[in-house]
Amino acid sequence: MVKIENLVKEYSGRRVIDIKNLNVNDGEILAVAGANGSGKTTLLRITSGLMKADSGFVEAQGKILFMPQQSYAFRGSLKDNLLIGLNGKDKKGEVEEILESMELKHLSDKKAVSLSGGELQRLALCRLLIRPCSLLLLDEPTSSCDARGTELVVDAVKKYVEKHGCTVIMATHSPIVAAKCADRMIILNDGGIEADGEPGEVMNDPSSEWAKSFIKDWRT
Amino acid sequence: MDSFKQAFDLLFSFDRELLRIIGVTLRMSFFSTAVSCIIGLPLGTLLGTHSFRGKAFVKKLINTLMGLPPVVAGLIVYFLFTHYGPLGKLNMLFTVRVMVVAQCLLITPVVTALTSSFVEERARPVIDTAKGMGLSGRKTLFLTLSESRGMLSSVVLNAFGRSIAEVGAVSIVGGNIQWKTRVMTTAIMLETNKGNFSFALALGIILLIIAFAVNAAASFTVKEKSDG
Repeated sequence: MVKIENLVKEYSGRRVIDIKNLNVNDGEILAVAGANGSGKTTLLRITSGLMKADSGFVEAQGKILFMPQQSYAFRGSLKDNLLIGLNGKDKKGEVEEILESMELKHLSDKKAVSLSGGELQRLALCRLLIRPCSLLLLDEPTSSCDARGTELVVDAVKKYVEKHGCTVIMATHSPIVAAKCADRMIILNDGGIEADGEPGEVMNDPSSEWAKSFIKDWRT
Repeated sequence: MDSFKQAFDLLFSFDRELLRIIGVTLRMSFFSTAVSCIIGLPLGTLLGTHSFRGKAFVKKLINTLMGLPPVVAGLIVYFLFTHYGPLGKLNMLFTVRVMVVAQCLLITPVVTALTSSFVEERARPVIDTAKGMGLSGRKTLFLTLSESRGMLSSVVLNAFGRSIAEVGAVSIVGGNIQWKTRVMTTAIMLETNKGNFSFALALGIILLIIAFAVNAAASFTVKEKSDG
């Protein structure tokens, strides 16, 4: 379980995270929605340990993996990218399988820097999904993907959760991803939680006027 | 054109004094670049990746030191190592070692500032991605260095370029002593003062050839590695 309490983060006097209490259960996929600058990325970076909060705490046990918003292609082929920090011999079959599942197998020997934005984003996700973890943090994992790419990412995340039973927190700008992938959804506004519930419920019956207006804009 | 011809004649005459000057120049530049990079690369990485109290002041200080005039650096080191200075007992004045010290004072801030701005802008995605993959600090550092080698090599070459072309500080602390501390730049200065302009220009051309050869060798090495 991930426990977040009284979490505060400010940039130059502007409060970007102000979360009183947020618990995410084991095996749960939580979608974090919100406008630009609402604190989604900051929340994920603090949870991953890449950034320190000004106050409050995040409690998460086990191995945490984090996919940043900007996907990076390391030198070498797609296979090389997947095997960074792993034993190549043990993982050979898994590498092929995971690249196949993301429809990247035909590019496996190509240089990763030659990939398109959507392909690179799928590769970045593959690099994480080849490792087991207890908490997977994804910062807009489908922002560069087309409809097919989005579908592949959603399926891969769901399968990974089924296999490893891990918790997922995913920032997203896509209502489709939230609806198809998440068990629960929160909407952030100025760093605070404006709505919290099952995605269909939050999207169809937002709890506040602000959330209603956000969902309306979001869907269009 | 005469100067070019003279430069090549001089270079291929294997004149003992010229070879000695080239040797001292390369030795001094190599060690001052190495020491500056040993200090400046980790310091720049630290500045680029960590936030701490007084960071803005440290950055301003480094930026100010980047503009330190070489003669002032030479003068500071001269006072430190002169017989009545705090380090006078080391008896290092007018040696290549003290020339390296003076050059480090000039080059380390450059290496630190360039590394810091590079790490802040360009290495951040590598570090975030590697840490996000759950890699250890050591593996993250290795990966960051490996991914940044092109940029880091340009920082090192920049430092080497500054070192090999510097004249003010080394002439003050080195004294331009024949067979001992004379380097290409101080030799050029001497020949110019003597009115031997074409010989001075020939030495300048040789200096450029050396700088070009070192740059080409370094670029070739980096390209070889990245292709492999």
